[in-house]
Amino acid sequence: MIEPILKITGLTACYGKISAIKAINFYAHDNEIVGIVGPNGAGKTTLLESIAGSMRIKNGRIFFLGRHIEKWPVLKRRQLGLMLVPQEGNVFPMMSVKKNLEISVILSNRAERKGLIDYVYELFPILWERRKQIANTLSGGQQKMLAVGLGITSNARVMLIDEPSIGLAPKLVTRLFETLKKIKEDTKKTIVLSEQNIKILNIADRLFGLEAGKIRFDEKTKNLSRDIVKDLYLGSIS
Amino acid sequence: MLLNGIITGLIMGGILSLPVLGVAVIYGITGIPNFAIGVIGVLGGFVTWYFLSFNMGVAIVIGIAVCFIIGYIIQRILLTPISERGGDSTLFFIITVSVGFVFEGIIRAIFPRPNISLELPRIGTINLAGVTVEGFKIFALLFALGTLVVIRLLEEHTEIGKSWQATSQNLKLAKLIGINTNRVFSIASGIGCALACVGAIFWGSLYNLQVSTGWDLGFMGFIIAVVGGIGNIWGGIISALIMGMVMSFSGYLLGGEWQSVILYFIVILVLIIAPKGILGSERSL
Repeated sequence: MIEPILKITGLTACYGKISAIKAINFYAHDNEIVGIVGPNGAGKTTLLESIAGSMRIKNGRIFFLGRHIEKWPVLKRRQLGLMLVPQEGNVFPMMSVKKNLEISVILSNRAERKGLIDYVYELFPILWERRKQIANTLSGGQQKMLAVGLGITSNARVMLIDEPSIGLAPKLVTRLFETLKKIKEDTKKTIVLSEQNIKILNIADRLFGLEAGKIRFDEKTKNLSRDIVKDLYLGSIS
Repeated sequence: MLLNGIITGLIMGGILSLPVLGVAVIYGITGIPNFAIGVIGVLGGFVTWYFLSFNMGVAIVIGIAVCFIIGYIIQRILLTPISERGGDSTLFFIITVSVGFVFEGIIRAIFPRPNISLELPRIGTINLAGVTVEGFKIFALLFALGTLVVIRLLEEHTEIGKSWQATSQNLKLAKLIGINTNRVFSIASGIGCALACVGAIFWGSLYNLQVSTGWDLGFMGFIIAVVGGIGNIWGGIISALIMGMVMSFSGYLLGGEWQSVILYFIVILVLIIAPKGILGSERSL
C-alpha cells in the first residue's frame, strides 16, 4: 500500500474548553480528492485549520511529506506545500483580480508564475474578463472562483478548501466541482475539501464523515450510498 | 503676505507629512497606533547631529539607519507578539507611549543638551513671485512629496509593496498564502521610524530640535493622519498640507499663540463631520 502524503493521527483541537474535534485520524494520498462531510458544527473547519496551522491543536500528530509538522507555523507548512482556502475572507478585497493572483504566486519561482496564473484564467474565463475589477465588487460566485484560483496559483501539493459550495447557486456548484475534478486531473495534486453539498459524491475519491467532532466513516465514495451521506448532513447517522 | 503664508504653510505641511507618512505606513500595515515614532525620530536627529561634523551624508544615513533598526526591533520583539495575543488600541497606546518615554530618557542620557540645531547647507535662495525662499525649504517640501510617490510606486510595482497591501487588507489570508507577515510588519515599522527621523532632521535644521519635539512630531503626526483618514497615505499628505496652511495663516493673522487653538479646533470639527477622516480609512481606531 502506498503511504499517504498527508496523515493525521489522534488530532484534538479545542475552542476554550470545548473540544471541537476529538482524536481524529485522517489521511490523503497524492492525486486524490478527499471530501470531509458533515453537518454544521461537526468540526470540518477546525480540522482544516488545524492542518493548515491557523488553529492551534491540543493533541495529535500531523505527518506531511515525510515531516512531522504539527508544531510548525502557517508559513512553514505553506512552504512545504499546504494551502488552505478559507470559507470567508478568502480574497484580498481591495485589489484587482489580477493583483490577487499575482500576490498568490509569491512562493513559486518566477518561471512558473505566468503559467499558474494563465491556468486559472483558462479554468475560469470570467476571471480573465474581470481581471481589472476590484475583488470585493465581484459577485459571490466570481469571488469563490478567485478564492479557488488563489489556491491553484499557490501551487501547493495539497489544497485544502473549506466549503466552496456555500452560497452558490446549484448550477455553479456543479460547474465548480467539475472544475475541481479537472484541476486534480491536470495537476495530479491533492484536494481536500469540506462540504455539506451532496454533489460532493460526484467528484470525491474518498469521503470522511464527521459528526460532533468525531469520524463516523472513512470510505471510498463508490462504496457509499447517497442516503448515508444525506443522513449525516441531517445529523442522524446512527 | 498671502503668498508668503501659502509658502510657509506648504513647507511646514511638507515636513509634518513625513512623520504623518510614518504613522500612516505603520498603522496602515500593522494596524498598530505607534506614538513613539516621533521620539525615535528625534533620537535619530540627535544621532545625526552627533556625527554631523564628521560627514554630513554619513551622519544622515547613520541617523536614519538607527531609527529603521529600532523600529524593526521593537516591532519584532514587542509589538507583533502583543498583537498576536490580541492587544487592543488602548494597550498599544500605553505601550508605545511608554516606549517613547524610554527613548526620551535614552536621548537625555546620551546627549545631555536641551536642544540642538542641525547645520545643513541652505542650497541658496529661490525667488517665487516676489517672495524669497531658502532652497533648503523647497528641498524639504519636494523630498516629502517625493517620498510619497516612492512609497506608492513600491506598493504598486514591487513584491514587498504588494505584500504590504495584502497584509493590510487580509492578514489571515496573507499568512495562508505564504507572506512572511512578521517581516512585513517589522519592515513597515522600520520605515515608519526612518520617515519620522527624516522629518526630525528637517525640523532640526529649519527650527531646532528638543527632546520634547519628538512628542510634538509624534502626536501631531498621528492627529494629522487621523484627520486625513488613518492608514490612507494620500489622505495623510493632503491633511498635512492643509494643517500646515492652517498653522501658517492662523499664525500670521492672529499671532503664534492662537495657532494650536485654531488647529485643534479644526481637527475636532473635521472629525465630528467625517469621523473616518477627509479621504476615509479602511481601518478605524
